[in-house]
Amino acid sequence: MFKKLYLAYGLLVLGGTGYAQHSGWSLDRISQLKNIPKSVRDNPGSYRSIYSGYHHYTGGK
Amino acid sequence: MGAGHPNPPLPTPPKPQVKALNCPGCGAAIVLRSMGHAETVVCASCHSILDAKDPNLQILQKFQAYTSEIPPMIPLGTRGKLRGTDYEVIGFQRRSITVEGVRYDWHEYVLFNPYKPIRYLTEYQGHWNDISVCKELPVVEFASATYLGERYKHFQSADAATNYVLGEFPWQVRVGEKASVTEYVSPPRVLSSEKTENEVTWSLGEYTYGADIWKAFNLSGSAPEPIGVYENQPSPVHVDVKAIWKAFAAFAILLLVLMAGLDISAHKTVAFDKNYLFTSGDPKAEASFVTDIFDLDGHTSNVRVSTSANVSNSWIYLNYALINQDTGQAWDFGREVSYYYGTDSDGAWNEGSTHDSVVIPSVPAGKYYLRIEPESDARHPSIAYSVEVTRDVTVPGFFGIAFLALLIPAVAITWRSLSFERARWAESDHPPLQLSSSGDND
Repeated sequence: MFKKLYLAYGLLVLGGTGYAQHSGWSLDRISQLKNIPKSVRDNPGSYRSIYSGYHHYTGGK
Repeated sequence: MGAGHPNPPLPTPPKPQVKALNCPGCGAAIVLRSMGHAETVVCASCHSILDAKDPNLQILQKFQAYTSEIPPMIPLGTRGKLRGTDYEVIGFQRRSITVEGVRYDWHEYVLFNPYKPIRYLTEYQGHWNDISVCKELPVVEFASATYLGERYKHFQSADAATNYVLGEFPWQVRVGEKASVTEYVSPPRVLSSEKTENEVTWSLGEYTYGADIWKAFNLSGSAPEPIGVYENQPSPVHVDVKAIWKAFAAFAILLLVLMAGLDISAHKTVAFDKNYLFTSGDPKAEASFVTDIFDLDGHTSNVRVSTSANVSNSWIYLNYALINQDTGQAWDFGREVSYYYGTDSDGAWNEGSTHDSVVIPSVPAGKYYLRIEPESDARHPSIAYSVEVTRDVTVPGFFGIAFLALLIPAVAITWRSLSFERARWAESDHPPLQLSSSGDND
């Protein structure tokens, strides 16, 4: 029973991996936004990135 | 299946077959249930072992029974159906072996059906076995025995003593009688030889769950919970571990093939590639800008945005937005490229990288542009960087996760199976190697 379960599980893992790759999934977390105004192209400064103001690493060892 | 007596039921109890006699020692009533099959019968009152073949019930032995003696869990006279055959419990004995000064007791029940060979049930700490005498002689080799084509591994050898008896027995039973017992296991079966001065008896047992015994004999309450792992107890992880690892190896190869196939079939089309120079000299100047429009073709798939910068003990941070020209849909993300290096008392060191990449998931086909807003330290006024957008790339992380997802259950199954077998064989004459504990020093 365990062998059959493992075989089914393994096929599911392989199938899932193939599907994820084919569908273009990613392991990175990206914020998705909708309805960005077309004016951004003419005035890039009018767009406020949700990541602006990020505290940057300035160190080194 | 025999054609003569297909599991004949016991005669309706109890009138015609039960013979009532009196103990010559104490006068207590003696009930004979086995209709002349018994060799000895034990008086429950004075614990005299009587010759059941003698019409006068000659006393063969008298033994002392302690008041704390545990009564049989299946009372004598109880009838039940085991593997489709009716049986009546006619005898009960407690036996023991002593190993390294520790005494281990178990109980045996004698089951009777006038048309069938005698059968036994044994119980040790809630573990039950259904036992019958072997029909042919097993072949014994060095540490194994073969019976009816099945190989049994030697488990243990010990001297067993009979400590307490009750009811009827189809042999000349005596308290204090000793036998040399050797057991071989092939779960769920156990092959046992009992050697006395006069004979060797081979029997075959099959592990039986207490609940099944309770059901078969319609006993009240529930069977005691088994303690520990018994010698022929079937493993809850009933699996061929080698087969699991073979399957894992096959899946790992298939995963490699899948990765290679998907990598070959991935388009990896470079849709945009451009070099920029960021100058942070004028804090009032608008840093953000947009790129030219580029096409992302094909089916919905991922997009990799790679950034390379000539940072040297410095950093650059880029606020990115990948924007669909037509729908206004956008993917917003920030990426930092930083690289630091130097030397200290430990020697040379470095951290970070001059390259970064991120994969945006499931981006539909269309016309896109990037809005880029770079930031950097004012002490490093000029940083050259390049941005590359690649459509439909392979994500190796998925295959790493899939490999772990295949590996972890195989390891867990193996661990569970080995743990059970380790517990089983720890009680045998061939215990697995124990890791010594450094804290055991007295």
